[in-house]
This record gives sequence, C-alpha cells and structure tokens, in this order.
Amino acid sequence: MFHPIKPTWLLWTVIIAVSAAWVALLYGLSRLRSREKRRIIIATTFLAGLFYVLEFFLPGKSRIFFWTRDHANPLTPFLSSLGEATLAIAGFTLMLGVTNLTLVHGRNILRRQKGWYNSAAFFLALLAMIFFGLWETYGDKAAPFGKIAHRTYQCLFDGGLVSLEATMFSLLAFYMAAAAYRAFRLRSGEATVLVVAAFLVMLGQVPAGMWLTRGLPAHNWLVNLRVENIALWLLNVVSMAGLRAVNFGVGIGALAMSLRLWLNLERGAFFEQEF
Amino acid sequence: MKLEHANWFHLAMMVVFCCTIVFAIITARRGRRMFIRRIPGLSAIDESVGRATEMGRPMLFSVGLGQIDMPTLQGLAVMSHVARLAARYGNRLLVPVADPMVLAVAEEATREAWQAEGKPEAHRPEDVRFLSDSQFAFAAGMMGLVIREAVASTFLFGYFYAESLLLAEAGQESGAIQVAGTPATTQIPFFIVSCDYTIIGDEYYAASAYLTQEPTLLGSLVGQDLSKGILILLILVGTLLSIFWPGEANPLIRLLTKSGGG
Repeated sequence: MFHPIKPTWLLWTVIIAVSAAWVALLYGLSRLRSREKRRIIIATTFLAGLFYVLEFFLPGKSRIFFWTRDHANPLTPFLSSLGEATLAIAGFTLMLGVTNLTLVHGRNILRRQKGWYNSAAFFLALLAMIFFGLWETYGDKAAPFGKIAHRTYQCLFDGGLVSLEATMFSLLAFYMAAAAYRAFRLRSGEATVLVVAAFLVMLGQVPAGMWLTRGLPAHNWLVNLRVENIALWLLNVVSMAGLRAVNFGVGIGALAMSLRLWLNLERGAFFEQEF
Repeated sequence: MKLEHANWFHLAMMVVFCCTIVFAIITARRGRRMFIRRIPGLSAIDESVGRATEMGRPMLFSVGLGQIDMPTLQGLAVMSHVARLAARYGNRLLVPVADPMVLAVAEEATREAWQAEGKPEAHRPEDVRFLSDSQFAFAAGMMGLVIREAVASTFLFGYFYAESLLLAEAGQESGAIQVAGTPATTQIPFFIVSCDYTIIGDEYYAASAYLTQEPTLLGSLVGQDLSKGILILLILVGTLLSIFWPGEANPLIRLLTKSGGG
C-alpha cells in the first residue's frame, strides 16, 4: 500500500516527523492517568479486533451489499500494512529487553553479588557481538582487520552460540530417557495402558517388530493384527481422536478469551474495575 | 487449504458460538450460580504457593516463548493470581521471560499485584527478567535460575516448544513442586511425566475463571462448554452425512472448505 518515498530529503523529513510524532504520543500517553490509559487500550483493542473480524467475514471478491457493484474486500489492502505496523511497534520493545538485562547484570557487578563474574561475561559477550556483528554487516571485510573481525564473528556466532544451542537441544535426548523411565513405571491402570500402547507403537516402527508378526496372512482380516497396523491404528485413530478433541477445546477456549478481551469483558486478572 | 475469507457457513457458526458465550456471560452476571468441576492442577496452585512460603524459598513462573497472544495472555492472568498470593504471603516470584513485549506486561502485572495487596514497597522489579528470545538460550537461563535460586515451586503456563522438557526436568531435579499448563498438544506429554500437576487442553483457558470465580469468567466457561456441545452435534451430523455421501460429495465438507472469495 505504501510506496518508497523519493527524493531522499523528503524520506528523511518523513522519518524525522514520524519519530517526533511517536515521541510526542508516547510522552502524552505517559502523562495520562491509569484509568485513562485503560480506556485508550480498550478502544484500540476493540477497533483493531473489529478490523480483523470485518476483513475476514466480508466476502473477498463479490457484492457486499445488494445495492453495490461487485468489488474486492475494501479492508484487505490494509492487512499487510497493519501487520508491518505491529512489527514496528514490537521493534520498539527490543530495547526494553536489553535495558532489563543491563540493569540486572549491572546491579550484580556493582554489588559484587555471588557469581558477579557471570554478569561481567554477559557484558563482554554483548559488546563483542555488537561490535563484530556490526563490522560483519557494514565493515570492510577485505581490510586486514576486517578478516580478523570476520573470523572472530564466525568463531563467536557459529563456534559459540550455535554450538551451545545445539548442545542444549541434544540434552533433550537424555532428559527424554529419564522422563520415559518415570512415565513407564507400572504404578496404575492408566500407566499400564500407556506402557502397552507405547511398546506397540515403538515395535511397529522397527523392522524387528514387523518381523514378529510377518506370518499373519496379508489378504484377510488377520492383517489388522500385524504389529505395524496396530501401531498405525493407535496413532491415527485413538491418539488422533484425543488430540482433535483437545484442539477443539483449546480453539473454543481461545475464541471465548478473544471475545472477552475484544468486548472488554475480561475481569479478575487484568481488569479489576468495570468501565 | 488456506481460507482467505469466510463463507456464510463460517459466519453463521461463529455467530452461534459468540452468541452462546455472550448469553452465558449475561446469565452469570445476572446472578445465576455456575458450577465448575474441581480441577486438581488449578487447586494445586494455592498449595504450591503455601509450600514455597513455608520453606522460605522463592517461586518461579514462566509464560513460555510466546509473544503477546492468547496462550501468553492466559498465562499472564494466572501469573497475576500467583503474584497476588506471593505478595500476600511475603514471598518472591521470579518471572523469566523470552519476549520484550511480554516483559513490559509482566512487570506491570506484578507491580499491580503488589500494589493491590497494599505492599508496593515489597515489589522487586528485578525479579521479572528478560533472559533471551532464543529458544535454548532461554531454556539454559531458566534452568540456571531454577537451580541457583533453589525455587520451591515452578509454574509453567504458556506456549512451550521443545524446551518444555528441559524446563520441567530442571524443576524436577531441584525438588520443586511443579504445576504446568499449555495449549501446545505436542508438549503436554512432557509436562505430564515431569510435573506434579498438568492442566490439559481447554482446562488451560478455564484457569482464570477457576481461580478468580468472577461471574463473567464463569459464564464464559459455561458458554465454552455449550459451544463444545454444538460442535459435538455438528460432528455427529458430519459422521452421518459421511456415511451417506462419502468423500467430496459430502455437503458439510463443501460448506466447510468453500472460500468466501479472494
């Protein structure tokens, strides 16, 4: 919907004007009383919800009212722009995260709290990643220092961050074994059903399991008793039915909560008072 | 198939569901008593707070990796309740978050909880911490927090992904009493095996009604159950229609999959 602004001086004027408008808006909001702020939140929530509801429920490319001509949904062209605006607002909050980390770790160092050196490592890592990340994006990689910076960035990002995340992910395998041990102890009737079902599903996935029941004829009802077919039935019928029932409940629950938030009916948790 | 716009059948269904929920809310607000069955996981929240207070150790509440969406908002609603209990009993509540927007809302919610209990000076803003928006960096940070702070109770309410088992096992190892709830069906089994209490499926969205006993929320919950009844009826009709018109010929399938244009 929005087209690039040209020439450059006009683009910069628009950027500065919009930034100034945002600062003024944020300042104005910060001066408001809590009750007034909530009124604005309620009005914005209702209008934003109304936009998405109308956009989805109005027909895409057909007559909306009997007296109008055939035309496209008038709200659809605004959909992507509104999504981008939401992303821009989310971008503002990034600094909140960095500020919070800086405050928490800065306090640890200043007060020499237990493990303060971990907080010092945080600042070191933050500054190193900012510096080498910016050099990687905007710096001259061909220059002598550029090559060192490029390798350091690769070492920090691929060698450090990515490897550490992969290590955390691989820990899951060990935790899963520990969790499976606890789950598969035969403590009750439900646990026994779980163990038997899990055993059959696992057996149905491996060649050894299929080998066990290969003798059952393939052309009559006995084929259903082959372990791979029992495993498939458990997954596609029993498990899937339960999963869909849960998803129906979750969907209706989300709809009810959305409706309460949209119509300002939410009480107890966020909004103590009625307006 | 992705639906760009709703057809008349979707619109009719949505109107039926919304009217049912709003009707139940109005009925509850007029004073009709609504009954909710006991949900052990939600009853355990108060017990977990009491246990942590008796042990003199902090509690930890995570709303998962979600941004400001329905599961996270519901998690924050439960967090507000736990924060009020923590403020009332003079306990600490650690809230690690993975999204800066959630950080702002969580800070505000905890501040309001301490203010509502008349102890604004006891509020510790540094207990609401942004760890990382990276999945496993967040998991590592939260696991470290659980072990270093020796938390007595952990509450995991929100949208979780593969890190759910890591977080729950860290609490299990530290001996914390754990209550978890998530609408992410793939993560529910991990919580069931690692946590003391797990809230499953739509019980997750019943949490705020159950904890606050607010008539509006109780009415909404009853409306949800009535809507589920309508859905079950629709499933039965669909099953019968599938027997007589199998495959694409089924009129219900045509109604559900026909786009509203665009």
